[in-house]
Amino acid sequence: MDLYAPILVLAVLAAGFAIFSVTIAPFTGPKRWNRAKLDAYECGIEPTPQPVGGGRFPLKYMITAMLFIVFDIEIIFLYPWAVAFDRLGVFGLVEMVLFIVTVLVAYAYVWRRKGLDWD
Amino acid sequence: MNGTIQAPTIEYALLSPMLIVFGAAIIGVLIEAFAPRYLRKSIHMPLTLLALLGAFATTILGAANGLPTSASAMGAVAVDGPALFVWGIILILAFVSVLLINDDEQFVAQAAAVPGSSDEEEAVRSGYAQTEVYPLLLFAVGGMLLFSSANDLLAMFVGLEVMSLPLYLLCGLARRRRLLSQEASVKYFLLGAFSSAFFLYGMALVYGYTGTVSLRGIGDALGAGSGQETLLLIGTAMLGVGLLFKIGAAPFQAWKPDVYQGAPTAVTALMASTVLVAAFGAVLRVFWVALGGLEWNWQPVMWGIAILTMVVGAILAITQTDIKRMLAYSSVAHAGFLLTGVIATGAAAQNAKALSAILFYLAAYGFTTVGAFAVVTMVRDAGGEAGHLSRWAGLGKRSPFLAGVFAFFLLAFAGIPLTSGFFGKYAVFAAAVSGGAVPLVVVGVVSSAIAAFFYVRVIVLMFFNDPAADGPSIAVPTVGTSAVVALAAAATVVLGVFPQPVLDLADQAASALFIR
Amino acid sequence: MTTHYLVLSALLFAIGAVGVLIRRNAIVVFMCVELMLNACNLAFVTFARQHGNLDGQLIAFFVMVVAAAEVVVGLAIIVMIFRTRRSASVDDANLLKY
Repeated sequence: MDLYAPILVLAVLAAGFAIFSVTIAPFTGPKRWNRAKLDAYECGIEPTPQPVGGGRFPLKYMITAMLFIVFDIEIIFLYPWAVAFDRLGVFGLVEMVLFIVTVLVAYAYVWRRKGLDWD
Repeated sequence: MNGTIQAPTIEYALLSPMLIVFGAAIIGVLIEAFAPRYLRKSIHMPLTLLALLGAFATTILGAANGLPTSASAMGAVAVDGPALFVWGIILILAFVSVLLINDDEQFVAQAAAVPGSSDEEEAVRSGYAQTEVYPLLLFAVGGMLLFSSANDLLAMFVGLEVMSLPLYLLCGLARRRRLLSQEASVKYFLLGAFSSAFFLYGMALVYGYTGTVSLRGIGDALGAGSGQETLLLIGTAMLGVGLLFKIGAAPFQAWKPDVYQGAPTAVTALMASTVLVAAFGAVLRVFWVALGGLEWNWQPVMWGIAILTMVVGAILAITQTDIKRMLAYSSVAHAGFLLTGVIATGAAAQNAKALSAILFYLAAYGFTTVGAFAVVTMVRDAGGEAGHLSRWAGLGKRSPFLAGVFAFFLLAFAGIPLTSGFFGKYAVFAAAVSGGAVPLVVVGVVSSAIAAFFYVRVIVLMFFNDPAADGPSIAVPTVGTSAVVALAAAATVVLGVFPQPVLDLADQAASALFIR
Repeated sequence: MTTHYLVLSALLFAIGAVGVLIRRNAIVVFMCVELMLNACNLAFVTFARQHGNLDGQLIAFFVMVVAAAEVVVGLAIIVMIFRTRRSASVDDANLLKY
């Protein structure tokens, strides 16, 4: 049971945060009603019965997807380190920092080349 | 939890060539991100050249400090004699190719602009340049260094991909004939990914049999021998498919002419020379170090592949009408000649002889190839480079010097005495004969003769045919291009007339064979 | 028993390989290559279990990352050619021949 205690605590914390955020939002956030807000949520864009332009999705989605995949999967290398980071010591930490720096270099490139802008 | 994990030991000094190249590539990406557009090229160029020079210098230093007796980085990379020699060749050839790549006429102004669109006109008018070429090239070169020296299959696979992925992109960046270039890129990518999937499954099966992916561990486990031989044999075959694809051995040569023709010629020069060198480094390691104990199983198949490669390369070269495609098939044939050296194994002395022959051949062939493609970049007409052979008719009358140099490179490909090609072929065939592969050598000599026919045909076309009225013009070469041609010609002469120092160096590099 | 997993992985690999050879759309061809890579991953993890060492699981991580990098490069190339030709069929890519 001891093993599962941290998980339980984390679950309680997570649930608490979610409930707190949802209940506090109507009181603190600005209230600007428009039609888009009442629509079904579709990643922040206006839902359309069919993709614009006869069944094909614009290439912009493809670029976003590509950027997402590459940065998303890189994080897999953090996983073994996260499992044993205390045992890997300083060496592991330095290596991980170096790894994240190289990922950040790629990120800086994407950002400066306006790969993160939608339009 | 229990205890700390021992930090791995990493021989930074030995691995510094690789680290320098990758470090410079990452700095190159940062330059792309933050430097203003007009400055980028003037920063990239010296950075790239300096990185390659620095890596070469540290390679020499590593060799001068005496060879290590065990693999570096916890057995992942083996920096041994052959590795250092191969690194040296790759770095020099990459350096030379960068001089060629520095030509604005080679690369597309903006890769993202659709060919023929107003965006493209706009990009060309503004004088944009796709300067990502330089970091991509450095990543590819770094991948080659890892690929050729990897001492376990995982490092080899990562090296293979780091080498290939930038090359797929570079292939699609030609300034002229962009559709052709993009098509080459797609073909190279799909076939390359297909073949690396084979390599990977082969790796999985070999891992399944031996329980390890380190080349040494695999070699040891073969000696122990345990059950499931089928697993091992299928795995070996699939590893072979992946590696032979990169070499362009028949029947996996289909991509080579298409990619060589479509890619920007400067990139073709880089690919044709360095990828072959790196891939042979990897082939030798896998088949000699890891699968040496399985010799009796893979050798017969390799015999067939070597024969097929030599014959297919030589015969299909004859039917080509495009100069770059012809050089591609010539490269296929040369891969076949090199494979005869891979097969010629035996006792340690015999292995050292074959290895040194292959190393010398790779150096000689690499220089000649870069030089030949450099000449191709200079023969142009309105639509860009004049690839079709008929356009080369009478070139010797218009610019005898250039045609003379090209003829010299072709003679080196053919293996005429007093060129580097002769000693390369001689060394490999001599090793094959003493390794007992006489029939292979006979096929090799015959297909050399067939190929020589074609090379001579081009020479005749250049010197004894009348030039077409609207024939191509010879572009005034940039300093870089003329330096490349001069260097390559000098290397071809020196290795052909006075090869002893390089032969000795190759002998020395090969004497201790691969460390395990 | 690990045999079942190996058979599954071999099947997936074969499906992917056949797909590469017979499908016409570059994206689908590419998805088949990814299927082959994932079949490799399954084999690696299974063998890791069989041998009782972690090498195979570790390799699977690397394969995933390499596959992701390959996806990005591949999609970029395919998108590039699609924008030019308005088609991603490999049969339309026929400019390069002898």
